[in-house]
Amino acid sequence: MIKFENVTKQFPPQTVALDNVSFEIEDGEFIFLVGPSGAGKTTILKLILRQFAPTSGGVFVNEFDLSTPAFKEVERLRRSMGVVFQDFKVLPEKNVIENIALSLKISHASNTQIKSEVREALELVNLSGRELYFPAQLSAGELQRVAIARAIVGDRDIIIADEPTGNLDPKTSWDIMKIFKKLEGKKTILIATHNTDIVNSLRKRVFNLKSGRLIKDIRKGGYDA
Amino acid sequence: MKDMMISIRRTPYQSLASFLILLFTLFLSLFFFNLVAFFHGFLGFVETKPQVTVYFQNDTKESQISQIKQKLIQTGKTTSVTYISKEDAFNIYKNLEKNNPLLLEMVSAEILPASLEIKADKPTDLAEIASYVKKQPGIDEVVFQKDIVDKLLTFTTIVRRTLLFIYALLLAITFMVLMTTTAFKIALKKDEIELQRLLGASTFYIRKPFFEEGAFFGFISGTVAFALFYGVFLIVYPLLSTQLVGIPDLAFFGLGNLDLYVWPPSIIFVLASYLLTVCFGMIIGVIGSYFSTSKYIE
Repeated sequence: MIKFENVTKQFPPQTVALDNVSFEIEDGEFIFLVGPSGAGKTTILKLILRQFAPTSGGVFVNEFDLSTPAFKEVERLRRSMGVVFQDFKVLPEKNVIENIALSLKISHASNTQIKSEVREALELVNLSGRELYFPAQLSAGELQRVAIARAIVGDRDIIIADEPTGNLDPKTSWDIMKIFKKLEGKKTILIATHNTDIVNSLRKRVFNLKSGRLIKDIRKGGYDA
Repeated sequence: MKDMMISIRRTPYQSLASFLILLFTLFLSLFFFNLVAFFHGFLGFVETKPQVTVYFQNDTKESQISQIKQKLIQTGKTTSVTYISKEDAFNIYKNLEKNNPLLLEMVSAEILPASLEIKADKPTDLAEIASYVKKQPGIDEVVFQKDIVDKLLTFTTIVRRTLLFIYALLLAITFMVLMTTTAFKIALKKDEIELQRLLGASTFYIRKPFFEEGAFFGFISGTVAFALFYGVFLIVYPLLSTQLVGIPDLAFFGLGNLDLYVWPPSIIFVLASYLLTVCFGMIIGVIGSYFSTSKYIE
């Protein structure tokens, strides 16, 4: 469960990134965060990852209250989430298996668990056969699949994706979205995106943001950019 | 291991700098360690020699000498007090001059003085013992190795202090170099560290590869420093043997019963030197990485 209660985030001197935003996301929901640049999408994701604390209001993720000024359990919180970035952030000197296993190693998984989970993740993202490839040998779409695989392995029940299709062509973007769709119901998924075609086609819950405010919470609907 | 090799390959010059500074420091550590251990052993050897010899007048009775001996033992500042009678002195003289019959004919037990040979517990007590003995009746002359022991003590103190100063400076430089090279490696791994943080890695998880690298450099540098030092030692050993002739086996801080001999170095002493050098190198490497990661990763 992810819950925002009247959350405001202000950056010095007077930039208001989020203005009194409230919402609640149940476990297993699939959410799109949409809105123009500077609307506050990334700020929401960063608040959930506890990259910073809210200026006011409450942020709750599972059993954690992230609004506490001296929040001490950042590492445990982040080990319950998987993150996917627009620029993939795949480590260039590690092969596909090693990149995916990184998440599991950080979560102190056993070698047996690492082997089986990596294999499952590779099948899910259709990368079987490319286990030993290095990032330089992969296409952008494949790199994003590696990043998704890294995000979903282990006990990470929340997947946060910031513009995961931002650097991809339309066909590859759809392939990536299909992977996210496979995870629907099993994990809570939050995707910040500008891709209106995908949002409108998939018809999931949509948070429409503008100038730091949540202007629409559309359930099972499309959205007009 | 693979991550460490990648890190070394990615920063070859910084890695070389870390290795060389550690090698230099550990080589000198080994040299200083051996030097201090040798001087300590040598000082122990000098201390086993009679340090104060008290010669008595001809008419001094054996009972008087015995009383003085008892008083000296009671001070608790002596390790041994040995009585050398006129006859003992004559026997020693005979033994020394056995190849010179003319001299032997001219000397009899009567003209040689009886004496006490005193060894002090601490060399610093020698002057006090000598001054105490001089005040006793029936004394003809008091001879003691004050100058030699004083010079040796002063020398070893100066050596110890100088080495300590040089060493402190060297360690400071070593830590600075290690911290700088590690900081550079951290900067190069910035993206990876940021990703690890976002995936929930603990601070120790992030720092561990740097500790491992520090320990690795310490181990390699320690091993090479050891090989270099004993390589040079083997070359100069024949020369040292001729220069140090007459000096018996010198135990390392009194640990002769463990076969720890500084001179000539026993196998156990050499092995102990290796272990100490490698452990010390690894500790320096890890501490350097610890300080650097504390400062830059946070």
